[in-house]
Amino acid sequence: MKASTIRKFRPWVQALAFIVFIVLLVAAGRVAFLPADLFFRLDPLAGLAGMVAARRFVLTMFIGGMIVLVLTLILGRIWCGWLCPLGTVLDWVPSHKSRSKEVDLDPRWRSVKYFLLGLIVLAAVFGNLSLVFLDPITLIYRTFVTALWPALIAVISGTEQALAGLPIPGLLDGIVKIDNFLRSTVLPVYQPVFGLSGLAVLLLGAVLALNAVRSRFWCRYLCPLGALLGLVSKISWLRRSTNDRCIACGRCARVCPTGTIDPKKDYASDPSECIMCLECAPACDKEAQQFKGHLAPARWQPYDPSFRQFLLSAGAAVTVVGLSKVLPQDKRSQPFLLRPPGATDPDFLSQCIRCGMCIQACPTSGLQPSLTEAGWAGIWTPVLVPRLGYCDFSCNACGQVCPTGAIPKLSLEDKRQKVIGHAYVDRNRCLPWASGRSCITCEEMCPVSDKAIQLEEVTVLSPDGQSISLQRPYVIQDRCIGCGICENNCPLSGQAAIQVFAPTDLGITQYW
Amino acid sequence: MSNLSRRDFLRFLMSLSAAGLATYLSGCKRITPTLADLPTKGAVLPTDAPGATVTPAAEVTAAESISTEGAYLAVARGGTLGPEELTRRAIAAVGGIERYVKKGADVIIKPNICNAYHGPEYASTTNPAVVAAIVALCLNAGAGRVRVMDFPFGGKAQNAYETSGIAQAVEAAGGQMELMNLLKYQKVEIPNPLALKETEVYGDILNADTVINVPIAKHHSGARLTLGMKNLMGTILNRGALHANGLHQSIVDLSTVVKPQLTVIDATRILVANGPTGGSLSDVRQMDTVIASADVVAADAYAATLFNITGSDIEYIRLADELGLGSMDLKSLNIETIDA
Repeated sequence: MKASTIRKFRPWVQALAFIVFIVLLVAAGRVAFLPADLFFRLDPLAGLAGMVAARRFVLTMFIGGMIVLVLTLILGRIWCGWLCPLGTVLDWVPSHKSRSKEVDLDPRWRSVKYFLLGLIVLAAVFGNLSLVFLDPITLIYRTFVTALWPALIAVISGTEQALAGLPIPGLLDGIVKIDNFLRSTVLPVYQPVFGLSGLAVLLLGAVLALNAVRSRFWCRYLCPLGALLGLVSKISWLRRSTNDRCIACGRCARVCPTGTIDPKKDYASDPSECIMCLECAPACDKEAQQFKGHLAPARWQPYDPSFRQFLLSAGAAVTVVGLSKVLPQDKRSQPFLLRPPGATDPDFLSQCIRCGMCIQACPTSGLQPSLTEAGWAGIWTPVLVPRLGYCDFSCNACGQVCPTGAIPKLSLEDKRQKVIGHAYVDRNRCLPWASGRSCITCEEMCPVSDKAIQLEEVTVLSPDGQSISLQRPYVIQDRCIGCGICENNCPLSGQAAIQVFAPTDLGITQYW
Repeated sequence: MSNLSRRDFLRFLMSLSAAGLATYLSGCKRITPTLADLPTKGAVLPTDAPGATVTPAAEVTAAESISTEGAYLAVARGGTLGPEELTRRAIAAVGGIERYVKKGADVIIKPNICNAYHGPEYASTTNPAVVAAIVALCLNAGAGRVRVMDFPFGGKAQNAYETSGIAQAVEAAGGQMELMNLLKYQKVEIPNPLALKETEVYGDILNADTVINVPIAKHHSGARLTLGMKNLMGTILNRGALHANGLHQSIVDLSTVVKPQLTVIDATRILVANGPTGGSLSDVRQMDTVIASADVVAADAYAATLFNITGSDIEYIRLADELGLGSMDLKSLNIETIDA
């Protein structure tokens, strides 16, 4: 089949891959038989960095990553041109179209992505995954999970509420039927809210906006996964080449989304930069270019990584790792750093690839992307914020979906034993303690048996001097697992009068 | 973005305004009927002022249909019959299901499915066999449809329906499990409240022809026991407000507007500690008892005796009795006991 014919399938393959991406995202934690983490398994950068940093072999990620690497060895960067959900979105948004022969910025900008790749992988060697949030799959997944999908849910709920208020007979029942179907299949019962939604959108928005400077700006100059696949593509088998029928009309260069077809070099292209989109194939009516097998490695380009650049990446990696130790939580445990059940710092920071799958799977949206709890080095790692959502005693979804095993896969029985934190009653604000009003909500909610929250019966003087009997809650720490349903349901507005603190019973975590 | 075409721009503008419109519309207040607008089929208003003489609830709920046949309260007990048969006999003794369910009636059964944590053997949720037996009775009596619902405080409703075993039992018996949808709650003002001035109640429960309240009898630290009246907290949204403003008073206030035609208390297994969530079999007692009455106050007062206390020991029962919502004076009631 001719390259220009195969090219016609590309938009469809891209759309299909994107739909699969979204379906798996929505299904995470809801449909057990689907491999919800498929795109992370297939992401060799997340796999490599994740396994190196954790010093742990993850078979699913190894197999998936190898599939994409072998595919790249044979066909070049087709992942970028045909499958990557971020690449697909970049193709969908408007982009700069070149009118002159100036199709590229200074090509040396292309080396930025190799710098980032080196930085991420070398930092991973030192056990640091702080910058893996720049991986394109985690970047787009996280933005959908913490911002765009919740925004869509808000629009759906808002539309339903607006329609339900209309005085049309039977309308409410119809909407309720649809809503019940949606809530029991794809939508959460309550609106998910995320503190970092704005930041996630800004980051993705910036990546999309850079399309206005050059099409696929992200893929050309920045993407660390593209850099990894680009390096492999230096020795890939299938490549584009030109022949002497070329009349230098320049059409191919103008349609090339990554700008790698260089008019100054007889319209040759670099396989490391070529995303195999085949857009150039129909542009040429002289049959002056072909896609065929090559065995010799492609030519090394001035912007390709050098030893000097490697040293630069290494230096930056050491700096990042060093800086990541200049954080308060390395001195003292942070009071509200509540990790998903079974995950414990500092190991967790070396295992979590910041993808956001656990956040998507959490039915109460209690799992939130961290901004300050774990310091900047732990940005976008998950933390439980009980006031927003509790850890459901009947749920173990986060560990089931975690692609790296950073959150262990626990049976429900085991998960119920895992201590996330400990609850403490704030006697200065608690209704019975501080105001002489009866309230036992936290005790009622406590799911463990025997209950970690107990009530002491006392007779006290009310604020107006009457003798009243009250039940006042206190926590038996040995029983408390820190699920936070007490804090979540405390009827006080704002900050709860019972709060879960990280299991920080005693002591300093680091002595030097 | 110099190459953004006019079409692209218009498309962008359109999607933006569509999103904006939807968000704006969602901000509009839903029309929430007050009590005066509501049909009073299922929700019979208390006609007596607080402190009036005790009116048996049977007369209040469906005066014309409830005749003198049948006991005021029935108790079926004994390990040999099984929960279904205990349920059938208790209901038969209070006049039979036909007394409460007319042909074609829209029936809602409200069991206690308060969490998604444990199976029925832990006695934190109503025995599925009891619920299924009532579903079957209603359908045999010609009910138009029989729905079963609750809104758990712990875990997802779907999971809770399954874990409790109630979903499977109800569907096998021909009933429908329904998720309680946030769109269907209606604001209700409570006349002459003790504590709770208004609350949002599930609309279908207010509008159904027959509501059957099927709690499990179990321990609760704040209320001492959770029984029939306490089970009605599952019909409202904002439960935190009840806790913070006087739980007992609020339970009674709620009972003045949510008035099931029949209460069937599942005491086949009871939970004596660590309620309402449970989780330990050592807190469960096998009682093989089912209590039925149209008077939720009487049913609750009787169930209290299974825990070796009386209705007057529980504040919300005492307050409800004082208000005339029902009677806790078991000695004065016509009680039929079926021992097997």
